[in-house]
Amino acid sequence: MSGFRPVNGKMIEATVNPGQVLYSQRGAMIAYRGEVSFTPSLTGGQGGVMSAIGRRVRGEAAPLMTVEGRGTVMFGHGGHEVHVIDLTGELLHVESDRLLAFEGSLRQGTVFLGSQGGVMGLVRGQATGQGLFTTTLEGKGAVAVLAHGGVFELPVTPGRPVNVDPQAYVCHRGQLTNRLTTALSWRDMVGRGSGEAFQLELSGQGTVFVQASEEKL
Amino acid sequence: MSTTVFDAHTLPADDNVNPYAFSVDLNGQWFLQKGKMIAYYGQISFDGIGHGPLDSLVASSFHSPLHASDWVVASGKGRLLLADRAFDVNSYDLDDGNLTIRSGNLLAFDPRLSLKQSIIPGFVTLIGTGKFVAASNGQVHFVEPPIRVDPQALVGWADCPSPCHHYDHQYLRGFLGGVRHLTGIGGASGEEHQFEFTGSGTVLIQSTEKLIAEQATGAVPDEQGVPGGSPRWSR
Repeated sequence: MSGFRPVNGKMIEATVNPGQVLYSQRGAMIAYRGEVSFTPSLTGGQGGVMSAIGRRVRGEAAPLMTVEGRGTVMFGHGGHEVHVIDLTGELLHVESDRLLAFEGSLRQGTVFLGSQGGVMGLVRGQATGQGLFTTTLEGKGAVAVLAHGGVFELPVTPGRPVNVDPQAYVCHRGQLTNRLTTALSWRDMVGRGSGEAFQLELSGQGTVFVQASEEKL
Repeated sequence: MSTTVFDAHTLPADDNVNPYAFSVDLNGQWFLQKGKMIAYYGQISFDGIGHGPLDSLVASSFHSPLHASDWVVASGKGRLLLADRAFDVNSYDLDDGNLTIRSGNLLAFDPRLSLKQSIIPGFVTLIGTGKFVAASNGQVHFVEPPIRVDPQALVGWADCPSPCHHYDHQYLRGFLGGVRHLTGIGGASGEEHQFEFTGSGTVLIQSTEKLIAEQATGAVPDEQGVPGGSPRWSR
């Protein structure tokens, strides 16, 4: 049972109960019923002051707010499609500005892309627009991510990697390694390239979420 | 998915062609906001209001001549297609009711309805029985009061009393709140202010905070007791 119910393609509804905290992107509340308070989260998520400083330094400090109280809240942002992902103990990698809302039961962290593939990891971070760090969420709970155009899921199994356009990549769940593959040729140098010179190859066991657009948020 | 090719007979009558375009089965007159017609079949003429024979319409359907120049009358017979910058478009039926809507969101309406300026600035009210077409950024979602709505997500409301402002500055109180307030550390949640609806009725909200540009609804008379009217006290 997900804590987030889709209202339509661009809006979700969440129930808040005392003792259960939700985190959401600031300003993404559409409407609410009941007594609910919205507090800008000083630490931009969980994990205390040190991890908050870590996030700030790494540029992954998304402006989040804490949603608590009793009632139902509707969220939506910027006219983007919303996709709800239910995590049952897996790990989700997502860019912080794509996070619309997530349940407080999830553990939030930040990973350095360079730790996965060294220099190529850094290049990949730049090419995909992810920067050098990305946000991780782990545990049991629901996450709502924003995407331009609808989102669909591509399963990845060992031996069957998936290649995605870095601009269409939204997030991924599970134990996946990503590798930036290049198909640069002399044609790209003279401006006659295919426009698909960079691709993101994801391999391992998990799911990749792809948006039906090449527009970044 | 196949593409349907429409002609004058297969175009929907008073229904959506796709989520972004609406087809009116015109036989008589309709009011539309300037520039919202995208195509038509048949014999339809578009006239500005207040010129010549249409002068009397201002009196019967607008009641307020101040913003009538933003509207055109489509008269004739045929199918009229309406759209607005690829926003979601929908039609709504009013049955002896009233609905207040953000002025920029209203595209067109049946002349049986009368359009009035709301006392809430930037909103207009439709009263009577008939059909109207409105645009929204993302689908419209209907909710019932009591509810508090983000000001930018509000499209309109029907059959319920006008909203009031609700402020929530709880997190700026206390010692830490004071520090936050003075230093700005921690920022604002962006949700300190909502419109609160109570009573019975229906509230229309859109799924994003991105607004459709407002249409001028005209100035209100300079009179005591009129919200927005300039003389605030008598001399």
